[in-house]
Amino acid sequence: MTAPFYKFGLFNDEVSFIIAFVLGLAFGFVFERGGFGSGRMLAAQFYFTDMRVFKVMFTAIVVAMIGLFYLNWIGFIDLSLIYFGDTYIMPQIVGGLILGVGFVIGGYCPGTSTVAIATGRLDAIVYLLGGAFGIFVFGEVFPYISDFFYSTPMGRITLPELFGIDHGIILLAVILLAIAGFTGADWGEKYMKSKKEGK
Amino acid sequence: MLKIYAALPPRKRMGILAIILGIFAAFIGNPSDATKTTVNIKEIALMAEKDANEINVNDIADWVIKGKMDYRLIDLREESEFNEYNIPTSENIRVHSLLNSDLKRNEKIILYSEDDLLASQAWFILKATNYKSVYIVDDGMEAWKEDVVLPTCKCDTNPTNEQKELHAKREEVAKFFGGAMQADGGNDITVKKDLPKLKAPTKVTLKRTRTKKSREGC
Repeated sequence: MTAPFYKFGLFNDEVSFIIAFVLGLAFGFVFERGGFGSGRMLAAQFYFTDMRVFKVMFTAIVVAMIGLFYLNWIGFIDLSLIYFGDTYIMPQIVGGLILGVGFVIGGYCPGTSTVAIATGRLDAIVYLLGGAFGIFVFGEVFPYISDFFYSTPMGRITLPELFGIDHGIILLAVILLAIAGFTGADWGEKYMKSKKEGK
Repeated sequence: MLKIYAALPPRKRMGILAIILGIFAAFIGNPSDATKTTVNIKEIALMAEKDANEINVNDIADWVIKGKMDYRLIDLREESEFNEYNIPTSENIRVHSLLNSDLKRNEKIILYSEDDLLASQAWFILKATNYKSVYIVDDGMEAWKEDVVLPTCKCDTNPTNEQKELHAKREEVAKFFGGAMQADGGNDITVKKDLPKLKAPTKVTLKRTRTKKSREGC
């Protein structure tokens, strides 16, 4: 048996919807329990007062990365079949900045806003409505910005391919980066705390 | 050593574990090379015998006319040949890029080339890498030209009603694809009419690929 199961035809579209639904519920539950359902907690990342979300995210990335690498190594999963989108570097930088600004202002990212709605937060409902409106506006103006949207295409590219180095080295680099990030986050939290107490 | 490790707080233990796995990974390098695969020869041999792997050109013609969309028709010939003429709804993918293409393992894939040879080889490659339903067009482009676009009348001098019906249908199908029924070459094979020049059909862009893109990812 080899993963990804869907691409190898182990189950059809209908079953994949059910699986996605169950996974989505589990994902949302863990998100909420992790404190991601609070806009304050999410915005705290940008003020270095509580870096919990940053740590959870980076931990998830590292765990998934190590898991996929070794599952691929033992032949359980075919990494070349894992879906990820094409890279369009400039439009994605711009999109990332817009998302980041929205993140700081609203206190949610698209996923966490739905989690927060599940717990009944009004600001999250407004946030999601705003997001839906943004999607609508984007759809309407898309013909005018499609040139930019498809500019600087790099295709389906990964870091090992881009730098021409081994997968494993990237893995190690990201792990070290994560640990450096955690240490930095700890330091930032402590610094902000002492600053607050000092006042 | 283990005692010291066990005494550390969980997050430090996790960090150390991650670094160890990372260093190990750096030595492994690349986990797997997608171009190498192991093949169960027996299974493939059985599949080759058992499965009805070939699809008749008339069926393809029928599906195109009916607008069936549940298959991916792949033209394996060179791009220039593909641009010159191809079976409507087909897309051009060369054999070497088959595995990097966006073909999915649960899709119905139909391969064709000029004759059977290249298509059979591609069939093997796809089957060996776990693509579920792969078929080849019987006699490929040759059959398409001879049976669908430029068919020759095979009726007797006094055709039966059945033959007439078939003749009319074939004529209609040929017309649909921009060809025409050829005069009876049965008696005098040497006098074979030149095939009219075939033009590539206007590219059929399937909407399917775009919707698929938006359906994946987060």
